[in-house]
Order: sequence, then structure tokens, then C-alpha cells
Amino acid sequence: MAASCAVGLGVSLARGLVRYAEASRLLAPCRVLPQSCIHTTTALEGNKNWERKNRVLHQPQPPEETRRAAEVFHCRRQIKYSKDKMWYLAKMIRGMTIEQAIAQLEFNDKKGAAIIKEVLLEAQEMAVKSHNVEYKSNLYVAESFSGKGQYLKRIRIHGRGMFGIMDKVYCHYFVKLVEGVAPTEEPRTGFDQAKEYVQQLRNRTIIHSL
Amino acid sequence: MAACITRALAPVQRVLGHNLTGKTQCLESLLDPARRCPPPTLVQTRTKKRHFIPPSVGAKHKTFSEQESKAKAAGVVVRQQYMERVINITCTAGIFDPYIPPEGDARLSTLSKEGLRQRTEQLKQSAGSQLAVRKIKDHDPDFNTKGFPARAQEIFIEAHANLTSFNKENLHNLVTERCYPEMVRGNRYKTLRWSFLESLEPPRVVHVRCPDMVSKGNLYGQVTVRMHSKQTLAIYDRFRRLMYGSEAVPRDVLEYVVFERHLVSPYSRWRMHGKIVPAWAPPKDPIIKTIMIPGPQLKPWEEFEESNYEVPKPKAVQWHK
Repeated sequence: MAASCAVGLGVSLARGLVRYAEASRLLAPCRVLPQSCIHTTTALEGNKNWERKNRVLHQPQPPEETRRAAEVFHCRRQIKYSKDKMWYLAKMIRGMTIEQAIAQLEFNDKKGAAIIKEVLLEAQEMAVKSHNVEYKSNLYVAESFSGKGQYLKRIRIHGRGMFGIMDKVYCHYFVKLVEGVAPTEEPRTGFDQAKEYVQQLRNRTIIHSL
Repeated sequence: MAACITRALAPVQRVLGHNLTGKTQCLESLLDPARRCPPPTLVQTRTKKRHFIPPSVGAKHKTFSEQESKAKAAGVVVRQQYMERVINITCTAGIFDPYIPPEGDARLSTLSKEGLRQRTEQLKQSAGSQLAVRKIKDHDPDFNTKGFPARAQEIFIEAHANLTSFNKENLHNLVTERCYPEMVRGNRYKTLRWSFLESLEPPRVVHVRCPDMVSKGNLYGQVTVRMHSKQTLAIYDRFRRLMYGSEAVPRDVLEYVVFERHLVSPYSRWRMHGKIVPAWAPPKDPIIKTIMIPGPQLKPWEEFEESNYEVPKPKAVQWHK
């Protein structure tokens, strides 16, 4: 009984297969994909906010204010280098003028130095061409930092049948160049720190006192 | 049981061909003594039944041309699929037979000899324009050279006002598709402040042409209007700093603006199509920031001598924008 049912099913399945075969061969498949997506970035793409900062239109300035300094944001994604090693170079050039930074990186032996130098030169060219910066050497590095990129995972084989997951590291590098002269910070002496400490003590409020 | 199986498997076999597993073949040979297959050797086979066999596995005719011929033979007709896309051409790609403005147009008065010669030349040029005007009037009876310039100036002012406020819809109605990218490119993050102060001379139609595109009857009318006016222009960049011009200082501007309309279509309008810049036009003001002009390519042993080097100047050619 069960066997005959199975056989019956088999027959109908076979007939269905035949029909499907004929249909799929002759008609070209065409599908209309819906296009109502709000979130179009996937998890694999990462966020591209740094690039978007270049597409901001600022508010009009009142005439009394000083002329706003031009800012250029540039980055490079998925550099085959460690973010911790890149950090040392990024920290080194913070606050330098662009010419000084390029000179320092040119004679630095690290692998990331050549990459950061390329990024700085690209950013300089971009600034002059599309962001209305007048003198290409009148720029300084306002912000410079590295971030973690998307890693690839590989297997590293140890002895005794053990294995570890090896990360192939990638990093991103971000830089912001600002037109003008870099602001100099006065170095804080011990006396300044002591003065601040005393001021903090004086600012305390004593509650529940007479 | 075995007979049921063969009956069940018959349609499958018909479609998919006889290349099934050795097991069923063995069965068949057992059941059908007429076949008389040789006794099979021990062949390792999968015992797990594959439940779904995609139809493309057993397909006899793999290539598309074979399938097509089979379908034709079977009598299946597939309607011809038109991979077409309709494109509407609503404007021409340029200015045909451009007007050559006479030299010193706004500087000479009509009373001097030079001015008279200019006027006679203009009259000669207008022979071709008269023909074109007649062609335009066939399609658009409201057109006349007296009333058109005022309307043209209105369109011009409205188009530029919409450009400053960047109203795309209105701008597309007032300006052709060829002119739109030229007006708008590079301006997305810039602020434009433009004002039309007054018209110094009444605008005048100087040149009319009626080219046709693609096929013979497809007429487009191009009318060049000469406008002498006072305007102010200031361009601010992304950071709201002045890039070019000034809002306070007005300038006298002599322009030859081309308007176009697709005459054959009843829904078309007269729209701004481009501008003609004559060869003798005075150079524009430089932009506020300083630009580096790349110098000559020097070999390592050469030195740059300032006295020998002349900054290359652009050629004085008429061009239309």
C-alpha cells in the first residue's frame, strides 16, 4: 500500500520533472528585483564615514569671523600592515606640516611609511585641485590615526595535531589636513599642574556643613 | 513490486535517458529476458537513492542552438525578444553653423564707418536666417523676431536664478540636456550668487538656424540672441569662502545666447542651449587664489632662465559653451 503510494508519487514527480525541463529550457528567466532598500551597506563593506566628510557644505560665515580654514579628509583602506605598527607612524606625524611629514616618512625604514607618504601626497593634490586650497605647502596634519581593517583568517598548524587561527592583519589609515599654520600648544610645566591642582581643591563644595 | 517499479520508472527513463545507475539496469535485464545483457561484473554503486535529479543532468541537447532547433521541430514558437530601449532625443549635441559675432560689437557706434560696415555684414548674414525663420513659423506660428528676445531674456534670467537655488526640475525645463551639465558641473558643493541688474541694450535676435538630426524631417530650431546687460556674480566654495567675482561690483556683459526648441514635437519649449564666446572677447577676471603654471621640462644639467621663458597664452578662438 505504502509502496504503491510511493510509486504513484514517483510517477507524478517524474511528470512534473518533464514539464519543468521543457519550460526551463525555452523561456529565458527574467526577474524584477525590488529596489526599496534603505540600508544598502552590508556588514562586509564597513562604514565609509571618513570619505563622506569631504562632501559637507558648511554654513555661511558672518563677515566678522576669520576666514574658515579648508579641511581635507583622506584615507586608505585595507592596507596589509598591522594597525599597532601603523599607529607609531601616525603618532609621529601628528601636528607636523605636510612638507615636514613627507620628509620624515621618506627616510623612515618602516613599510607603512611609504604608504602614508603616498596617502599624504594624494591628499595634498586633492586639496589643491578640488577643495580650493591655495598653497599646497600651507597644510598641516591635524588628525592622523590608524584603524583595524577586515582580517582574513588562516590556519596555523602546531605540533601534536593542534592548530591555531592566524589572522592576516589589515589596517586603515586616516588623515585630516587643515590649511594654515599648526596651532602650537604651550608645554605644561610642573608649576602649571600644581596651580591647577590647588584650584581643584579650592573648587570643592563642602556639603552638610554649618 | 518489481513490475510497479519499472512502470514508475518508465516516464523517468523516457525523459532522462537510459543512463541510470547500474542497479536498475541489472533489474531490467533480470526482468526482461529478451534483452539478454551479459552478466554484470560487481560494480560499486551508491545505494543511497538520489531523490532529486535536476532535469539539466540528463538533457540530451546541451547547446542553445540544438535546443532551439528541437523546439522549432516540436512546433514551439518563441516570440522574438526585442532588446531595445527607447531614447528620446530632445536636443541637439551642439550649435550648428554658429554665429560669428563681428569684432568690436559693443564698442563701435552705428554712426561710424566701422559700425556701418558691421551692420551691412549682419544684414548679409541674415539671408540664411530668414529661411530658417520661415521654417520655424511653419511649425510654431507664434514665433516672431520682435517678441522672442524678451521671452528669451526671461528664460535666461529664470534659468540662472534656478541655478543659484539649484532647483533641478525647473532647470531642466528651462535649459536643454546639453547645456545642463555645463552649467551644473562642479557646482554641487559651491554656492553661486548671481543677480541680473539691468539690460543695457534691448536683446536682439541675430542668427537663426534650423538643423535636422538623424532623419530628414526632425527639425530643431536654434536662435541666437544678443544680450548686453549688467550682472553680478560671486562664487563661494565648500567652506563659504569667496572664490571668484564679487557681489558688490557689477559687470557689463555682452553675451550671445543660443536657444533651442524641438520644432516637430508639440510639447517642446524654447530652452537655453548654449553660449557663443567670440574670439575677441576680453579675458575674464582671474580667480582669487594663485595658481602654479607648470614650467618647462628641464634636463638635469639645465637651469631655468627667467628671461628666455614666456608664459604660453591661450589661442584666441571662438568657442561655444
